[in-house]
Amino acid sequence: MELIENTRDGVIIVEPRGRIDSVGSKPFGDRLTELIRSGSHNMLIDLQQILYISSAGFRSLLIARKLVDEVNGKLVLCGMSSEVKRLFEIGAFTDLFIICTNRDEGVAKAK
Amino acid sequence: MDRVELRIANRLEEISRVADMVEHFGAEHGVPGQIVNDVNIALDEALSNIVSYAYGPDEQGEIIVRLACAAGELRVEIEDAGRPFDPLQRAPPDLAKPLHERSVGGLGIHFIKSLMDEVAYARIDGKNRLRLKKRLPAA
Repeated sequence: MELIENTRDGVIIVEPRGRIDSVGSKPFGDRLTELIRSGSHNMLIDLQQILYISSAGFRSLLIARKLVDEVNGKLVLCGMSSEVKRLFEIGAFTDLFIICTNRDEGVAKAK
Repeated sequence: MDRVELRIANRLEEISRVADMVEHFGAEHGVPGQIVNDVNIALDEALSNIVSYAYGPDEQGEIIVRLACAAGELRVEIEDAGRPFDPLQRAPPDLAKPLHERSVGGLGIHFIKSLMDEVAYARIDGKNRLRLKKRLPAA
């Protein structure tokens, strides 16, 4: 798991790469928490380079979503492949997140 | 080679070695990427459950993962000598809860059941054995 970070229009864009599994979810979740706690309240997570996400990764996303809500921020997801979207559907997470198709749309929604 | 076996320690970091093996085995046998990913998710859920529930925090154990490609399906077998733990008996997750009440308890086994075609648990000779099957598309 690698994490690439960028900022655009005041939105922090986080792009995880690889597997967000029991191993990868730890650095991924820790970094999201760290970013939110240090003031990044408008966040876009671009999932286009991930292979898959397991329940441990969904836990990290849920925690980040709850933290962002506490500070009245925004957390948006984008770049999901049809395979990754299917995992969100199996876990019934589709309605719990704002999901956009691409970065431009995601940044606009996360602002 | 149509089967492969890997022995890992009961630590989460070891799951990366298993995922690498599945990718390698899948590539060698022309298994579609989506099926490789599905099997890796199921393995991540099953192995992290074993690490958390079949062994105590300071207990050292070995988990054996076997993969086989036969009769149009990918077969996975996971064996450990930890305390009896049947993941299939875990309560199903409540997927209808709103955001602030959602947790991921039980979600792992829900993923395994949703992504695999067959799942079976047995306690044999003092070992936990979980068998997973995933059908492969016709060549």
